[in-house]
Amino acid sequence: MKFTILDCQFSIDFLKPGILKNYKLEIVNRKSQIGEEHIMSNEIWVFAEQQEGKVRKVAFELLSAGAELSKKTGSQVAAILLGSGLQEAVKSLIPFADKIYLMDDPAFASYTSDAYLINMAPLIKEHQPSILLGGATSTGKDLFPRLATHLQTGYAPDCTGLAMKENGKLVAKRPLYGGKVFAEMTFSEARPQMATVRNNTFLVNQNINKSAQVISISSHTDPSSLKKKVLGLEKAAGTKLDITEAEIVVAGGRGIKAPENFKMIEELSDVLNASVGTTRATVDEGWRDQKDQIGKSGKNISAKLYMAFGISGAIHHVLGIGTCKTVVAVDTDPNALIFNYADYGIVGDLFQIVPALTEELKKAMKE
Amino acid sequence: MEIYILVKQVPDPEAIVKVKSDSELEIENKYFTNFFDEIAIEAGLKLREKFGGKVTVLTVDNKKVDALRRGIAMGADDAIQITDPALEGSDQFAIAKALAAYLKDKPFGLILAGRQAMDDDAGIVGPAVAELLGIPHVNTIIGLEINDPKKEVKVIREVEGGKEILSCSLPALFTCQKGLNNPRIPQVMNVMKAMKTQIKKIDLAALGLSVADAGSQAAKIKVQKYLSPPKRPPVKMIKEDFPENVKALVKLLREEAKVI
Repeated sequence: MKFTILDCQFSIDFLKPGILKNYKLEIVNRKSQIGEEHIMSNEIWVFAEQQEGKVRKVAFELLSAGAELSKKTGSQVAAILLGSGLQEAVKSLIPFADKIYLMDDPAFASYTSDAYLINMAPLIKEHQPSILLGGATSTGKDLFPRLATHLQTGYAPDCTGLAMKENGKLVAKRPLYGGKVFAEMTFSEARPQMATVRNNTFLVNQNINKSAQVISISSHTDPSSLKKKVLGLEKAAGTKLDITEAEIVVAGGRGIKAPENFKMIEELSDVLNASVGTTRATVDEGWRDQKDQIGKSGKNISAKLYMAFGISGAIHHVLGIGTCKTVVAVDTDPNALIFNYADYGIVGDLFQIVPALTEELKKAMKE
Repeated sequence: MEIYILVKQVPDPEAIVKVKSDSELEIENKYFTNFFDEIAIEAGLKLREKFGGKVTVLTVDNKKVDALRRGIAMGADDAIQITDPALEGSDQFAIAKALAAYLKDKPFGLILAGRQAMDDDAGIVGPAVAELLGIPHVNTIIGLEINDPKKEVKVIREVEGGKEILSCSLPALFTCQKGLNNPRIPQVMNVMKAMKTQIKKIDLAALGLSVADAGSQAAKIKVQKYLSPPKRPPVKMIKEDFPENVKALVKLLREEAKVI
C-alpha cells in the first residue's frame, strides 16, 4: 500500500454560488460590447490527464482526434496539462498539439475536482475554447460534469464518436440505455462544447508532427483550505492496465468453475499483454474484484480485441462490450447468447482451449 | 444527520429499447429503481442507524414515482417529487438546477446519489448538484467511513489501477458505486406502507424557478438524432476439432481481424 500525503491549500471562492452569479454578469456585458464572435477562440482543447507524470493514452487519442476535427475549421489544438513534475509529460505532448497550457505545481500531484476546477475555469473563461475534450476516465467523469455546470455550458459524457460541422459545431455520439441505442448530441450556443470520450475510441496518430508552444500558467494558491484531500492511493496488485484502457481484454465467467482457474486466463492475458475482465456472477461469488467487472453494473470496455471464456452472454454483460472491435467467444453451450455478440465463436471446452491458445499465441507472437 | 438521496426510476436492464424515429425511442414498460440509487439509499439508512436523523428520497419526474416508493419501503422517512409540465425535455443540467433549488435551504448533512442513472448513463446530475450548492463531491465511492459528521470523513473512490482514499468535509455529495454495500430487500409490510405513503409534490414556481430554467429551450445538450447500435456481422463459428480450431482462431485474429 502506498500513501502520498498532501497539504495543498486553495481558495474555494469559485465554488461559492455568489461568485458564479457575478461571473455570468461579466460575460453578458462583454458580449454586448464586443460581440460574441470576438470573445470566442475556435481552439480545440484536450484535457491531458496524467498519472504520476505520465500522460494517459486517451489524451493522445483525443489530440489525434482533435487534429482531425480541426481540419474542418482550421482550429488550433491545445493540451491543458495539470500536475506536478511534468517535464516528461510536456515532452510527450509537444508533437501532438499546437499549444500546451501547463500548470505544474506540487498542489496538483493528486487530482481533486476542487483544485483542478479553481484553476482550469478561469483559464477556460479567458480563452473561450470552442471544444474541451477529456477521457471518460474516473477523473474525466468526476471533473467534466462539475466544470460544465460551473461554466454553464453543455457536456456530453462517455462518447464513442465525434464529428465537426463546418460552422464549428460539435456532434458527439454516445450510447444510451447501456448501448441499446445511440444518440448524436449537439450543444447549445454556450462554449466550450465539452465531451468525455471512451478509451480506444480513436487511434493515436504518430504522424501529427506538431511542435507545441508551451504556455506556463501559475496556479491560484489562495491560502484557504480545500474541502477534500487525497490521502493516498491503494494500488491494485500487478501492473495490468484497467480493463477500460486495455487494447485487449480476456475474460472468464461462471464457466471457469472456480476462482483458482482464473490463473489460466491470466497466463493467456500475459501473452497478449491484455487485462483480465469478468462478469457480475463471479464478482458476486467473490471470485474476482469488482473493478474488473464488465457490463451494466460494472464497466463498459472498448477493446480492440475482447475474448470471452465460459461467459453465457447475459444482457447485463454484453451491454458492456458493444463498442469492442473484435469479439471472440468460447463456450460449451452452442446456444449461448454470447455467440450473438461475437465475431468468432468456438463451441468447446475452455479448459482444453485456453492453455492450447496460450501456447499457440506464444508461438505466433514470436514470429 | 439529515440525508437526501437523489433517485430515479429507469428502464430495467432487460427492457427492450429501440429507435422509433430520429427523435423518439420505444421503451418497453418495464421499470425499476436505478440499481446504483438503491446503493445510495442503503448507505443513507445505515448512517441514520448510526447517527439518527432523517433520510429523504428525492426525484425529478412528472410520472414515475416508484423509485420514491422503493426508498420508503426500504426505510426512508420522506419522499419528494419535483414535478412540473415545464420540466419535459429538460437535460441533466436543468434537472440538477431543480434539485439544487429544492436542497439549497435544507439542513442537509449529506447528499447521496447513484454513480449514474441506467437510462442516460450520464453521471452528470450528482456532481452538478454539488457544484450548484457549492459543496464538495466524490464520485463512484466504494467505501465511506463517518465517525463524526462534524469532522472530515473518509471516502474510498474507484480509480483506474486502484482505490483512492480521500478525506472530505461535510456537507458533501457522494455518488455510490457497486461494492459500497448490499441494498436491503424491503419487507412486505413496508412495501404496503410505501404504496400508501403520501408523496409531496413540488413544482418549479415553489422552487423559485421559472419555466425558462427548464425544458428543451434551456437545454445545454440536445439529442439531434437517435441511432440503432451498429450491427456486428454474423458470428463466424470455427467448426474444426480441437486443436485445429485453436490454430484456426489465431490465424483469423492475425490475418482477417488483424488485431494481434
